[in-house]
Amino acid sequence: MADLRINFAGIKSPNPFWLASAPPTNSGYQVQRAFEAGWGGAVWKTLGEPILNISSRFAGTHFNGQRMAGFNNTELITDRPLEVNLKEIYETKKRFPNHTIIASLMVEPQQEKWHEIVKRVEAVGVDGFELNFGCPHGMAERGMGAASGQVPELVEKQTMWAKEVAETPVIVKLTPNITDITATAYAAVQGGADAISMINTINSLAGVDLDTWNTIPHVAGKGAHGGYCGPAVKPIALNMVAECARNSTINVPISGIGGVSDWRDAVEFMLMGAGGVQVCTAAMHHGFSIVEDMVDGLNNYLDDKGLDSVEDLVGKSVPKYSDWGDLDLNYKTVARINTDTCINCNKCHIACEDTAHQCIDMLTAKDGSNYLKVHEEDCVGCNLCSIVCPVDGAIDMIEIPSDEPMTWKERETAIKQPSCGISLVK
Amino acid sequence: MERPMSHHKEFLGEKEKIDNLYSKGYRITAVNETLSGAFVEFSRITEEKELETEELQLLNPDTRIYFSTLIHKQQKAQ
Repeated sequence: MADLRINFAGIKSPNPFWLASAPPTNSGYQVQRAFEAGWGGAVWKTLGEPILNISSRFAGTHFNGQRMAGFNNTELITDRPLEVNLKEIYETKKRFPNHTIIASLMVEPQQEKWHEIVKRVEAVGVDGFELNFGCPHGMAERGMGAASGQVPELVEKQTMWAKEVAETPVIVKLTPNITDITATAYAAVQGGADAISMINTINSLAGVDLDTWNTIPHVAGKGAHGGYCGPAVKPIALNMVAECARNSTINVPISGIGGVSDWRDAVEFMLMGAGGVQVCTAAMHHGFSIVEDMVDGLNNYLDDKGLDSVEDLVGKSVPKYSDWGDLDLNYKTVARINTDTCINCNKCHIACEDTAHQCIDMLTAKDGSNYLKVHEEDCVGCNLCSIVCPVDGAIDMIEIPSDEPMTWKERETAIKQPSCGISLVK
Repeated sequence: MERPMSHHKEFLGEKEKIDNLYSKGYRITAVNETLSGAFVEFSRITEEKELETEELQLLNPDTRIYFSTLIHKQQKAQ
Protein backbone atom coordinates (compact mmCIF):
# COMPACT_ATOMS: atom_id res chain seq x y z
CA MET A 1 0.00 0.00 0.00
CA ALA A 2 1.35 3.40 -0.96
CA ASP A 3 1.64 6.30 1.42
CA LEU A 4 -1.29 8.62 0.76
CA ARG A 5 -0.25 11.25 3.29
CA ILE A 6 0.57 14.69 1.97
CA ASN A 7 2.38 17.69 3.33
CA PHE A 8 0.74 20.53 1.48
CA ALA A 9 2.55 23.81 2.10
CA GLY A 10 3.32 22.62 5.61
CA ILE A 11 -0.21 21.34 6.21
CA LYS A 12 -0.19 17.63 6.96
CA SER A 13 -3.11 15.51 5.83
CA PRO A 14 -3.77 11.76 5.96
CA ASN A 15 -4.73 11.77 2.27
CA PRO A 16 -5.00 14.30 -0.56
CA PHE A 17 -8.81 14.34 -0.64
CA TRP A 18 -10.28 17.43 0.98
CA LEU A 19 -13.86 18.64 0.86
CA ALA A 20 -13.96 22.09 -0.69
CA SER A 21 -15.45 25.07 1.06
CA ALA A 22 -19.13 24.71 0.19
CA PRO A 23 -22.41 23.36 1.58
CA PRO A 24 -20.83 19.97 2.55
CA THR A 25 -18.52 21.74 5.04
CA ASN A 26 -21.13 24.01 6.55
CA SER A 27 -21.13 22.52 10.07
CA GLY A 28 -19.28 20.38 12.56
CA TYR A 29 -21.84 17.63 12.11
CA GLN A 30 -21.07 17.39 8.39
CA VAL A 31 -17.29 17.71 8.64
CA GLN A 32 -17.09 15.09 11.38
CA ARG A 33 -19.20 12.70 9.31
CA ALA A 34 -16.93 13.38 6.35
CA PHE A 35 -13.82 12.56 8.37
CA GLU A 36 -15.44 9.37 9.59
CA ALA A 37 -16.10 8.49 5.94
CA GLY A 38 -12.42 8.92 5.09
CA TRP A 39 -11.88 12.45 3.82
CA GLY A 40 -8.39 13.69 4.68
CA GLY A 41 -9.40 17.29 5.16
CA ALA A 42 -12.11 19.87 4.88
CA VAL A 43 -12.07 23.51 3.98
CA TRP A 44 -14.74 24.91 6.29
CA LYS A 45 -17.43 26.83 4.49
CA THR A 46 -16.36 30.44 4.17
CA LEU A 47 -16.50 32.41 7.40
CA GLY A 48 -17.42 36.06 7.44
CA GLU A 49 -20.12 38.32 8.65
CA PRO A 50 -23.42 36.43 8.72
CA ILE A 51 -25.26 36.94 5.48
CA LEU A 52 -28.70 36.28 4.07
CA ASN A 53 -29.37 33.67 1.41
CA ILE A 54 -32.09 33.42 -1.19
CA SER A 55 -34.35 30.54 -2.19
CA SER A 56 -33.97 28.75 -4.54
CA ARG A 57 -30.23 28.61 -5.13
CA PHE A 58 -29.06 25.43 -6.95
CA ALA A 59 -29.51 24.16 -10.49
CA GLY A 60 -28.17 21.09 -12.21
CA THR A 61 -27.33 20.85 -15.87
CA HIS A 62 -28.12 17.33 -17.01
CA PHE A 63 -26.63 16.13 -20.25
CA ASN A 64 -27.75 13.18 -22.28
CA GLY A 65 -28.93 11.17 -19.31
CA GLN A 66 -26.17 12.17 -16.92
CA ARG A 67 -27.52 14.02 -13.90
CA MET A 68 -25.44 16.97 -12.69
CA ALA A 69 -22.92 16.98 -15.48
CA GLY A 70 -22.67 20.57 -14.34
CA PHE A 71 -23.93 22.33 -11.24
CA ASN A 72 -24.82 25.93 -10.62
CA ASN A 73 -25.37 27.76 -7.35
CA THR A 74 -26.17 31.18 -6.00
CA GLU A 75 -25.56 30.27 -2.37
CA LEU A 76 -23.35 32.63 -0.41
CA ILE A 77 -20.84 32.11 2.39
CA THR A 78 -21.92 30.75 5.77
CA ASP A 79 -25.11 32.21 7.15
CA ARG A 80 -24.21 31.03 10.66
CA PRO A 81 -22.64 33.31 13.28
CA LEU A 82 -18.86 33.17 13.54
CA GLU A 83 -18.97 32.08 17.18
CA VAL A 84 -21.04 29.02 16.31
CA ASN A 85 -18.66 28.00 13.55
CA LEU A 86 -15.60 28.55 15.75
CA LYS A 87 -17.04 26.40 18.50
CA GLU A 88 -17.74 23.58 16.02
CA ILE A 89 -14.30 23.88 14.38
CA TYR A 90 -12.70 23.59 17.82
CA GLU A 91 -14.77 20.52 18.69
CA THR A 92 -14.13 18.88 15.35
CA LYS A 93 -10.38 19.46 15.50
CA LYS A 94 -10.31 18.09 19.04
CA ARG A 95 -12.07 14.94 17.90
CA PHE A 96 -10.04 14.55 14.70
CA PRO A 97 -6.60 15.99 15.51
CA ASN A 98 -4.89 14.28 12.56
CA HIS A 99 -7.36 15.46 9.97
CA THR A 100 -6.96 18.76 8.20
CA ILE A 101 -9.26 21.70 8.83
CA ILE A 102 -8.73 24.78 6.74
CA ALA A 103 -10.83 27.85 7.38
CA SER A 104 -12.08 29.66 4.32
CA LEU A 105 -12.28 33.39 5.01
CA MET A 106 -13.87 36.36 3.34
CA VAL A 107 -14.15 39.90 4.64
CA GLU A 108 -14.13 43.38 3.21
CA PRO A 109 -10.80 44.57 1.84
CA GLN A 110 -9.75 46.30 5.05
CA GLN A 111 -6.59 45.45 6.94
CA GLU A 112 -8.11 45.47 10.43
CA LYS A 113 -10.98 43.19 9.33
CA TRP A 114 -8.53 40.62 7.95
CA HIS A 115 -6.43 40.84 11.11
CA GLU A 116 -9.44 40.35 13.36
CA ILE A 117 -10.88 37.31 11.60
CA VAL A 118 -7.51 35.58 11.12
CA LYS A 119 -6.67 35.94 14.83
CA ARG A 120 -10.07 34.79 16.04
CA VAL A 121 -10.20 31.75 13.75
CA GLU A 122 -6.59 30.71 14.31
CA ALA A 123 -7.24 30.63 18.06
CA VAL A 124 -9.53 27.59 17.69
CA GLY A 125 -6.80 25.49 16.11
CA VAL A 126 -7.25 25.44 12.33
CA ASP A 127 -4.41 24.03 10.23
CA GLY A 128 -4.46 26.89 7.77
CA PHE A 129 -6.54 29.43 5.91
CA GLU A 130 -8.00 29.69 2.45
CA LEU A 131 -8.79 33.23 1.36
CA ASN A 132 -11.91 33.22 -0.79
CA PHE A 133 -11.26 35.55 -3.73
CA GLY A 134 -13.54 33.64 -6.02
CA CYS A 135 -17.19 33.67 -4.99
CA PRO A 136 -18.78 35.13 -8.16
CA HIS A 137 -22.17 36.22 -6.86
CA GLY A 138 -23.67 37.91 -3.84
CA MET A 139 -20.46 38.66 -2.05
CA ALA A 140 -18.99 40.26 -5.15
CA GLU A 141 -21.77 42.87 -4.97
CA ARG A 142 -20.32 43.80 -1.58
CA GLY A 143 -16.76 44.15 -2.91
CA MET A 144 -15.59 40.72 -1.78
CA GLY A 145 -14.98 37.35 -3.48
CA ALA A 146 -14.48 37.63 -7.23
CA ALA A 147 -14.72 41.42 -7.01
CA SER A 148 -11.42 41.31 -5.15
CA GLY A 149 -10.12 38.24 -6.94
CA GLN A 150 -10.27 39.90 -10.34
CA VAL A 151 -7.93 42.70 -9.26
CA PRO A 152 -4.35 41.49 -8.76
CA GLU A 153 -3.50 44.45 -6.49
CA LEU A 154 -6.36 43.57 -4.13
CA VAL A 155 -5.35 39.89 -4.10
CA GLU A 156 -1.79 40.83 -3.21
CA LYS A 157 -2.76 43.38 -0.57
CA GLN A 158 -5.32 41.20 1.21
CA THR A 159 -3.03 38.18 1.14
CA MET A 160 -0.39 40.34 2.77
CA TRP A 161 -2.85 41.47 5.46
CA ALA A 162 -3.76 37.88 6.26
CA LYS A 163 -0.11 36.86 6.32
CA GLU A 164 0.75 39.70 8.69
CA VAL A 165 -1.03 37.93 11.52
CA ALA A 166 -1.45 34.29 10.44
CA GLU A 167 0.82 31.75 12.06
CA THR A 168 -0.50 28.86 9.97
CA PRO A 169 -0.23 28.58 6.15
CA VAL A 170 -2.35 30.81 3.94
CA ILE A 171 -3.85 29.41 0.73
CA VAL A 172 -5.35 31.85 -1.77
CA LYS A 173 -8.36 30.57 -3.73
CA LEU A 174 -8.57 32.11 -7.18
CA THR A 175 -11.44 32.96 -9.46
CA PRO A 176 -11.53 31.56 -13.00
CA ASN A 177 -13.56 34.59 -14.11
CA ILE A 178 -10.48 36.33 -15.38
CA THR A 179 -8.56 36.24 -18.64
CA ASP A 180 -5.22 35.08 -17.25
CA ILE A 181 -5.30 33.30 -13.90
CA THR A 182 -1.51 33.41 -13.65
CA ALA A 183 -1.78 37.18 -13.09
CA THR A 184 -3.77 36.77 -9.89
CA ALA A 185 -1.80 33.68 -8.90
CA TYR A 186 1.39 35.73 -9.17
CA ALA A 187 -0.22 38.50 -7.12
CA ALA A 188 -1.04 35.99 -4.40
CA VAL A 189 2.56 34.78 -4.37
CA GLN A 190 3.78 38.38 -4.19
CA GLY A 191 1.47 38.86 -1.22
CA GLY A 192 3.17 35.99 0.56
CA ALA A 193 0.70 33.17 -0.08
CA ASP A 194 1.96 29.76 1.03
CA ALA A 195 -0.20 28.08 -1.62
CA ILE A 196 -2.95 28.75 -4.11
CA SER A 197 -6.12 26.82 -4.89
CA MET A 198 -8.19 26.82 -8.04
CA ILE A 199 -10.71 27.07 -9.41
CA ASN A 200 -13.63 28.72 -7.76
CA THR A 201 -16.91 28.60 -9.70
CA ILE A 202 -17.44 30.06 -13.17
CA ASN A 203 -20.09 32.68 -13.94
CA SER A 204 -23.03 30.83 -15.40
CA LEU A 205 -26.73 30.65 -16.14
CA ALA A 206 -27.90 27.06 -15.88
CA GLY A 207 -30.88 27.41 -18.20
CA VAL A 208 -34.17 29.00 -19.12
CA ASP A 209 -37.59 27.38 -18.60
CA LEU A 210 -39.27 27.10 -22.00
CA ASP A 211 -42.78 27.31 -20.55
CA THR A 212 -42.47 30.08 -17.96
CA TRP A 213 -39.50 31.87 -19.53
CA ASN A 214 -37.99 32.07 -16.06
CA THR A 215 -34.31 31.52 -15.55
CA ILE A 216 -33.18 28.30 -13.88
CA PRO A 217 -33.00 28.72 -10.95
CA HIS A 218 -35.21 31.72 -10.33
CA VAL A 219 -36.19 33.66 -7.25
CA ALA A 220 -39.75 34.91 -7.55
CA GLY A 221 -39.39 35.12 -11.31
CA LYS A 222 -35.99 36.77 -11.37
CA GLY A 223 -32.59 35.21 -11.90
CA ALA A 224 -28.96 36.14 -11.57
CA HIS A 225 -25.74 34.53 -12.62
CA GLY A 226 -24.44 31.75 -10.42
CA GLY A 227 -21.23 29.81 -10.06
CA TYR A 228 -20.70 26.76 -12.27
CA CYS A 229 -18.89 23.65 -11.10
CA GLY A 230 -19.01 19.86 -11.43
CA PRO A 231 -17.61 17.52 -14.11
CA ALA A 232 -18.28 20.04 -16.90
CA VAL A 233 -15.69 22.49 -15.59
CA LYS A 234 -12.83 20.01 -15.14
CA PRO A 235 -11.02 20.83 -18.41
CA ILE A 236 -11.11 24.54 -17.56
CA ALA A 237 -9.80 23.94 -14.06
CA LEU A 238 -7.12 21.52 -15.22
CA ASN A 239 -5.79 24.04 -17.71
CA MET A 240 -5.64 26.76 -15.07
CA VAL A 241 -3.79 24.47 -12.67
CA ALA A 242 -1.39 23.54 -15.46
CA GLU A 243 -0.79 27.16 -16.47
CA CYS A 244 0.15 28.04 -12.90
CA ALA A 245 2.17 24.86 -12.33
CA ARG A 246 4.39 25.48 -15.35
CA ASN A 247 4.95 29.13 -14.50
CA SER A 248 8.22 29.39 -12.59
CA THR A 249 7.19 32.65 -10.92
CA ILE A 250 4.28 30.90 -9.21
CA ASN A 251 6.43 28.69 -7.05
CA VAL A 252 3.92 27.60 -4.41
CA PRO A 253 1.87 24.41 -4.05
CA ILE A 254 -1.51 24.24 -5.81
CA SER A 255 -4.69 22.71 -4.47
CA GLY A 256 -6.71 21.47 -7.46
CA ILE A 257 -10.45 22.10 -7.53
CA GLY A 258 -13.02 21.81 -10.30
CA GLY A 259 -14.94 18.72 -11.32
CA VAL A 260 -12.92 16.18 -9.36
CA SER A 261 -15.35 13.27 -9.20
CA ASP A 262 -13.20 10.17 -8.76
CA TRP A 263 -9.62 9.04 -8.19
CA ARG A 264 -8.78 9.35 -11.88
CA ASP A 265 -9.68 13.03 -11.89
CA ALA A 266 -7.59 13.49 -8.76
CA VAL A 267 -4.60 11.79 -10.38
CA GLU A 268 -4.93 14.02 -13.45
CA PHE A 269 -4.89 17.15 -11.28
CA MET A 270 -1.90 15.88 -9.32
CA LEU A 271 0.01 14.89 -12.46
CA MET A 272 -0.63 18.42 -13.69
CA GLY A 273 0.88 19.93 -10.56
CA ALA A 274 -1.73 19.89 -7.80
CA GLY A 275 -0.38 18.83 -4.42
CA GLY A 276 -3.87 17.76 -3.36
CA VAL A 277 -7.46 18.10 -4.50
CA GLN A 278 -10.70 19.49 -3.19
CA VAL A 279 -14.09 18.02 -3.99
CA CYS A 280 -17.58 19.42 -3.69
CA THR A 281 -20.08 18.62 -6.44
CA ALA A 282 -19.37 14.88 -6.51
CA ALA A 283 -19.94 14.72 -2.75
CA MET A 284 -23.17 16.71 -3.11
CA HIS A 285 -24.28 14.31 -5.83
CA HIS A 286 -23.34 11.00 -4.23
CA GLY A 287 -22.56 11.64 -0.56
CA PHE A 288 -19.40 11.47 1.53
CA SER A 289 -18.82 7.75 0.91
CA ILE A 290 -17.36 8.41 -2.56
CA VAL A 291 -14.05 9.04 -0.82
CA GLU A 292 -13.70 5.30 -0.17
CA ASP A 293 -13.37 4.62 -3.91
CA MET A 294 -11.08 7.61 -4.26
CA VAL A 295 -8.71 6.28 -1.60
CA ASP A 296 -8.79 2.70 -2.89
CA GLY A 297 -8.43 3.78 -6.52
CA LEU A 298 -5.49 6.04 -5.80
CA ASN A 299 -3.82 3.35 -3.71
CA ASN A 300 -4.19 0.75 -6.45
CA TYR A 301 -2.99 3.18 -9.10
CA LEU A 302 0.15 4.04 -7.13
CA ASP A 303 0.84 0.34 -6.54
CA ASP A 304 0.38 -0.40 -10.25
CA LYS A 305 2.79 2.40 -11.13
CA GLY A 306 5.30 1.23 -8.54
CA LEU A 307 5.12 4.50 -6.63
CA ASP A 308 5.53 4.56 -2.85
CA SER A 309 3.96 7.91 -2.22
CA VAL A 310 1.20 10.09 -3.60
CA GLU A 311 3.67 12.96 -3.61
CA ASP A 312 5.70 11.10 -6.27
CA LEU A 313 2.88 11.86 -8.70
CA VAL A 314 2.75 15.59 -8.28
CA GLY A 315 3.75 17.53 -11.38
CA LYS A 316 4.85 14.57 -13.51
CA SER A 317 2.90 15.85 -16.52
CA VAL A 318 3.81 19.52 -16.15
CA PRO A 319 6.87 19.34 -18.49
CA LYS A 320 4.57 17.90 -21.14
CA TYR A 321 2.33 21.00 -21.10
CA SER A 322 3.62 23.82 -23.20
CA ASP A 323 2.62 26.46 -25.74
CA TRP A 324 1.15 25.76 -29.18
CA GLY A 325 4.28 27.30 -30.66
CA ASP A 326 6.38 24.56 -29.09
CA LEU A 327 4.48 21.72 -30.77
CA ASP A 328 6.07 19.75 -33.59
CA LEU A 329 4.58 20.77 -36.96
CA ASN A 330 5.95 17.60 -38.56
CA TYR A 331 4.34 15.12 -36.16
CA LYS A 332 1.61 13.26 -38.02
CA THR A 333 -1.13 10.84 -37.10
CA VAL A 334 -3.84 9.34 -39.26
CA ALA A 335 -7.02 7.46 -38.50
CA ARG A 336 -7.27 3.75 -39.23
CA ILE A 337 -10.59 1.96 -39.13
CA ASN A 338 -10.56 -1.61 -37.90
CA THR A 339 -13.13 -3.28 -40.12
CA ASP A 340 -13.36 -6.25 -37.75
CA THR A 341 -14.65 -4.03 -34.96
CA CYS A 342 -16.46 -1.36 -36.99
CA ILE A 343 -20.26 -1.66 -36.87
CA ASN A 344 -20.73 0.46 -40.01
CA CYS A 345 -22.80 3.07 -38.23
CA ASN A 346 -21.13 5.61 -40.54
CA LYS A 347 -20.89 8.29 -37.85
CA CYS A 348 -17.21 8.78 -38.64
CA HIS A 349 -17.93 9.14 -42.35
CA ILE A 350 -20.68 11.69 -41.73
CA ALA A 351 -18.57 13.69 -39.29
CA CYS A 352 -15.57 13.71 -41.60
CA GLU A 353 -17.60 14.41 -44.71
CA ASP A 354 -19.67 17.26 -43.24
CA THR A 355 -17.32 18.89 -40.78
CA ALA A 356 -13.73 17.79 -41.32
CA HIS A 357 -11.59 16.81 -44.32
CA GLN A 358 -13.67 14.34 -46.37
CA CYS A 359 -11.14 11.55 -46.07
CA ILE A 360 -13.29 8.55 -45.10
CA ASP A 361 -14.50 6.56 -48.09
CA MET A 362 -17.54 4.27 -48.13
CA LEU A 363 -16.50 1.30 -50.22
CA THR A 364 -18.10 -1.93 -51.31
CA ALA A 365 -16.28 -5.23 -50.96
CA LYS A 366 -16.38 -8.02 -53.53
CA ASP A 367 -19.02 -9.81 -51.48
CA GLY A 368 -21.23 -6.74 -51.69
CA SER A 369 -20.76 -5.62 -48.09
CA ASN A 370 -19.95 -2.03 -47.29
CA TYR A 371 -16.91 -0.91 -45.38
CA LEU A 372 -15.21 2.34 -44.47
CA LYS A 373 -11.62 3.23 -45.24
CA VAL A 374 -9.56 6.28 -44.46
CA HIS A 375 -7.84 8.02 -47.34
CA GLU A 376 -4.71 8.56 -45.28
CA GLU A 377 -3.07 11.12 -47.55
CA ASP A 378 -5.91 13.53 -46.88
CA CYS A 379 -6.30 12.70 -43.18
CA VAL A 380 -4.97 15.53 -41.04
CA GLY A 381 -5.17 13.51 -37.81
CA CYS A 382 -7.83 15.74 -36.28
CA ASN A 383 -9.25 12.83 -34.17
CA LEU A 384 -12.89 13.71 -34.92
CA CYS A 385 -13.78 10.28 -36.35
CA SER A 386 -12.37 8.45 -33.32
CA ILE A 387 -14.18 10.85 -30.99
CA VAL A 388 -17.61 10.31 -32.56
CA CYS A 389 -17.09 6.57 -32.99
CA PRO A 390 -19.32 4.69 -30.50
CA VAL A 391 -17.19 1.53 -30.49
CA ASP A 392 -13.97 1.40 -28.51
CA GLY A 393 -11.11 0.20 -30.65
CA ALA A 394 -12.89 0.61 -33.98
CA ILE A 395 -10.74 3.58 -34.95
CA ASP A 396 -7.10 3.96 -33.98
CA MET A 397 -5.03 7.06 -34.43
CA ILE A 398 -1.71 5.87 -35.80
CA GLU A 399 1.54 7.81 -35.77
CA ILE A 400 3.15 7.71 -39.16
CA PRO A 401 6.79 8.46 -40.02
CA SER A 402 7.48 12.10 -40.66
CA ASP A 403 10.25 14.60 -41.11
CA GLU A 404 12.46 15.73 -38.25
CA PRO A 405 10.74 17.82 -35.58
CA MET A 406 10.23 21.55 -36.14
CA THR A 407 8.07 23.81 -34.01
CA TRP A 408 6.24 26.90 -35.20
CA LYS A 409 8.63 29.02 -33.12
CA GLU A 410 11.60 27.34 -34.84
CA ARG A 411 9.92 27.89 -38.21
CA GLU A 412 9.45 31.59 -37.54
CA THR A 413 13.13 31.91 -36.65
CA ALA A 414 14.18 29.85 -39.66
CA ILE A 415 12.23 31.72 -42.34
CA LYS A 416 13.18 35.16 -41.08
CA GLN A 417 16.70 34.86 -42.43
CA PRO A 418 17.02 31.63 -44.36
CA SER A 419 20.82 31.85 -44.54
CA CYS A 420 22.22 29.00 -46.59
CA GLY A 421 25.71 30.14 -47.42
CA ILE A 422 24.70 31.66 -50.78
CA SER A 423 25.85 35.22 -51.27
CA LEU A 424 23.10 37.56 -52.30
CA VAL A 425 25.53 40.13 -53.71
CA LYS A 426 24.65 40.30 -57.40
CA MET B 1 -17.28 14.51 -56.72
CA GLU B 2 -13.68 15.35 -55.98
CA ARG B 3 -12.61 15.73 -52.37
CA PRO B 4 -13.11 19.48 -51.78
CA MET B 5 -10.56 19.73 -48.99
CA SER B 6 -8.01 17.49 -50.66
CA HIS B 7 -4.75 19.29 -51.07
CA HIS B 8 -2.50 16.30 -51.35
CA LYS B 9 -2.05 16.47 -55.10
CA GLU B 10 -1.35 20.18 -54.85
CA PHE B 11 1.22 19.48 -52.14
CA LEU B 12 2.92 16.82 -54.23
CA GLY B 13 3.10 19.24 -57.19
CA GLU B 14 4.57 22.05 -55.13
CA LYS B 15 6.97 19.70 -53.36
CA GLU B 16 8.19 18.43 -56.70
CA LYS B 17 8.97 21.98 -57.83
CA ILE B 18 10.97 22.61 -54.66
CA ASP B 19 12.81 19.29 -54.91
CA ASN B 20 13.67 20.05 -58.56
CA LEU B 21 15.24 23.36 -57.61
CA TYR B 22 17.12 21.73 -54.75
CA SER B 23 18.45 19.02 -57.04
CA LYS B 24 19.85 21.78 -59.27
CA GLY B 25 21.69 23.31 -56.35
CA TYR B 26 19.21 26.03 -55.44
CA ARG B 27 18.68 26.87 -51.82
CA ILE B 28 16.03 29.02 -50.17
CA THR B 29 17.28 32.55 -49.59
CA ALA B 30 14.14 34.52 -48.79
CA VAL B 31 10.57 33.92 -47.73
CA ASN B 32 7.74 36.42 -47.99
CA GLU B 33 4.43 35.15 -46.65
CA THR B 34 1.35 37.09 -47.75
CA LEU B 35 -2.40 36.58 -48.08
CA SER B 36 -1.69 35.22 -51.55
CA GLY B 37 0.58 32.48 -50.24
CA ALA B 38 4.27 32.14 -49.54
CA PHE B 39 6.65 33.63 -52.08
CA VAL B 40 9.84 31.68 -51.68
CA GLU B 41 13.05 32.77 -53.34
CA PHE B 42 15.59 30.15 -54.34
CA SER B 43 19.16 31.04 -55.30
CA ARG B 44 22.27 29.27 -56.50
CA ILE B 45 25.76 30.20 -57.60
CA THR B 46 26.50 28.93 -61.11
CA GLU B 47 29.81 27.49 -62.26
CA GLU B 48 30.43 30.90 -63.79
CA LYS B 49 30.14 32.34 -60.28
CA GLU B 50 26.89 34.09 -61.14
CA LEU B 51 23.88 34.31 -58.88
CA GLU B 52 20.69 32.79 -60.26
CA THR B 53 17.34 33.26 -58.59
CA GLU B 54 13.95 31.58 -58.94
CA GLU B 55 10.74 32.33 -57.10
CA LEU B 56 7.85 30.01 -56.30
CA GLN B 57 4.42 31.00 -55.08
CA LEU B 58 3.40 28.22 -52.70
CA LEU B 59 -0.18 27.85 -51.55
CA ASN B 60 -0.39 24.51 -49.82
CA PRO B 61 -0.18 24.33 -46.02
CA ASP B 62 1.83 21.12 -46.11
CA THR B 63 4.28 22.74 -48.53
CA ARG B 64 4.72 25.64 -46.12
CA ILE B 65 5.77 23.13 -43.48
CA TYR B 66 7.92 21.28 -46.00
CA PHE B 67 9.97 24.23 -47.23
CA SER B 68 10.43 25.59 -43.74
CA THR B 69 11.68 22.20 -42.59
CA LEU B 70 14.25 22.40 -45.38
CA ILE B 71 15.39 25.82 -44.17
CA HIS B 72 15.46 24.57 -40.58
CA LYS B 73 17.64 21.65 -41.67
CA GLN B 74 19.87 23.99 -43.70
CA GLN B 75 20.44 26.18 -40.69
CA LYS B 76 21.07 23.26 -38.36
CA ALA B 77 23.61 21.83 -40.80
CA GLN B 78 25.58 25.09 -40.95
